[in-house]
Amino acid sequence: MRLTRILRTASFRLALLYVLSSSASALLLGAVVFWIASSALNREMRMRITAETAALVSEFRAFGATRVIAAIRHREQGAGSLDYLLQGAGGARLAGDLPGLAGPGWIDLSLGNREARGQAIEHGGQPERVRVLATALGNGMLLAVGDDLSRTNAAKTAILGAFASVTGLVLLLGILGGVLLSRAFLRRVDAIAVTAQAIIDGDLSQRIPVHGTGDDFDQLAATLNRMLDRIAALMESLRQVSSAIAHDLRTPLARLYQRLDTARTHAASAAEYRQAIDGAILETDEILGTFAALLRIAELEAGTRRSRFRPLDLSALVLSVAEAFAPAIEEATHTLVLDVAPGIRIAGDQQILAQMVSNLLENALRHTPAGATIRLGLERAGKAVRLVVADNGPGVPASERGRIFERFYRGEQSRTTPGSGLGLSLVRAAADLHEAVLSVDDACPGLSIGVTFQPSVSCPPAP
Amino acid sequence: MPACATKAHAGSPSVAEGPVRMKILLVEDDAATTAYLVRGLREHGHVVDHAAGGRDGLFLAGNEPYDVLVVDRMLPGLDGLGIVKALRAARVQTPALFLTTLAGIDDRVAGLEAGGDDYLVKPFAFSELLARLNALARRPPLTDSPSILSVADLEMDLPSRTVTRAGRRIELQPKEFQILEFLLRNQGRVVTRTMLLEKVWDFHFDPRTNIVETHMTRLRAKLDRGAARSLIETVRGAGYTIRAAD
Repeated sequence: MRLTRILRTASFRLALLYVLSSSASALLLGAVVFWIASSALNREMRMRITAETAALVSEFRAFGATRVIAAIRHREQGAGSLDYLLQGAGGARLAGDLPGLAGPGWIDLSLGNREARGQAIEHGGQPERVRVLATALGNGMLLAVGDDLSRTNAAKTAILGAFASVTGLVLLLGILGGVLLSRAFLRRVDAIAVTAQAIIDGDLSQRIPVHGTGDDFDQLAATLNRMLDRIAALMESLRQVSSAIAHDLRTPLARLYQRLDTARTHAASAAEYRQAIDGAILETDEILGTFAALLRIAELEAGTRRSRFRPLDLSALVLSVAEAFAPAIEEATHTLVLDVAPGIRIAGDQQILAQMVSNLLENALRHTPAGATIRLGLERAGKAVRLVVADNGPGVPASERGRIFERFYRGEQSRTTPGSGLGLSLVRAAADLHEAVLSVDDACPGLSIGVTFQPSVSCPPAP
Repeated sequence: MPACATKAHAGSPSVAEGPVRMKILLVEDDAATTAYLVRGLREHGHVVDHAAGGRDGLFLAGNEPYDVLVVDRMLPGLDGLGIVKALRAARVQTPALFLTTLAGIDDRVAGLEAGGDDYLVKPFAFSELLARLNALARRPPLTDSPSILSVADLEMDLPSRTVTRAGRRIELQPKEFQILEFLLRNQGRVVTRTMLLEKVWDFHFDPRTNIVETHMTRLRAKLDRGAARSLIETVRGAGYTIRAAD
């Protein structure tokens, strides 16, 4: 894994941002501590100088200059002592080693030549800085007391150093942590990218590895895998439809072509042309009907219509469709037996359910001989709802029953009957849309197709 | 029941008689479809204006008094839904029929929600379009809802839901009543099989079974029992019509 990639990752940038902000707050804290400490040290230094000055001034008042000179000399002997100067009228130095001063007040001095006076070198040859308070004693005499600024500076440097090293450590650990975190994230992201690339390259069977830890990456991977499963299913169905269309539309198109070609070569009268055109229009209607059915099935399989689901009275809907078909069924000398429980409500799409029941009835009507009985039933099965269309016709061999919902499937006996072979495909698509389960059984004799709506779709009876 | 007194309120049968010239605006960008429709509509004596784009169509529809609009859903510029929405927003209530190649019900619902009055999926038979345009252009205003519909010696009393022919009471099933009512409301005009499927059964799909024909056979048998003339005529290749004697 290249470092530049890690540095570009969102997680590393986040880590960096976090580290920078915590360093900034450490620095801010350091600055505040430094400011408080240095003002405290300065205040302490002023207090020391002021107190010493006050002590010496009171000695001067009580015992005179000679006593002060002695006191200064005595104090200069001690280690880490303050600096002093007693200056007589006209600037004559009476005691102490501070340089001569012009007047009273606070002043910072730079002492370059301490070593010359045999004192310890404290600053490696650098000029020593001293803060001095000069006080007028009257008669032109001046008393000065000073303290070495480097003493407070050392404390300040220690504080600064501590904060600088802590900040540096935070930065270092943060960046290191960021890199490690980013590497871990990048590895997971790379796994997704590799899968995606394999899919782009044409292998739709690839899935993102799931680590089983249940973390957010696992959840994302599982969701993406489910999406890929769905896409693969849709692709497969699209592939099937394309090949089915190519295969099954050729036949009617060829018939259409033959009719028109025959009319062109053989038709002699206007009546014959008219007949050929009527035939061609019928053939075209057939093809368009097949297209419409395919489009409708595709629309149902896309599942977008679920948003239009409304609670509806399925009993009333089934009865209404049965009523529409009753005269046609009677005319075909079939018998329709209704066994519809009242007041069954489900959430669904009224148009699609009506077409589903229509197609089931048409399927039974078309594939049974004259005199057959068709039973249309709707009943509650526990919490589910079951719709059944059964006939006592020839039925479908058990081995074929699973295939009757396939697009363009036509049973051996029904090769010659009209129909597109899409009616039951639409039934399956409609059932899938409503999350209903299809079943195909032997009605002994005959065929029984059941549609079981799950309790989640069925509604309690209307109040 | 004094038939003469109530007939004055029974809609206006005279409107339905004879061919009526409609002023039609066709908004369609496909040249072949346009030629096919313009030719057919003019042959039936209608005046047709054509706009190839959505904005031209909206402009014409907003400024000219048309009897009916035929609007393609897919148009360059402003699409068909947009035109009808804009017209309805401007309180132009000219009936509009959408043409489309999309077959989904969602599109039909979207069209009706946008303010369209009818919907036809391409390709369609010309007779289907003509029948629907006739029904749309002369749709009676909503306020004018007669309580009695009649043609020749047939009378339909809507509040009591009774039908009589030459004074003889005829018992109809609910759907038969609805079919007859729809025919009577469109008397003198052709009603197609698809229109009946949509209006009477609310089926917006095409059953392969002859549902309409079998119901029509039963209705006719009931209406024409003992009568000299069959009231409901079949218009070959188009649909059905009910009208007073020629």
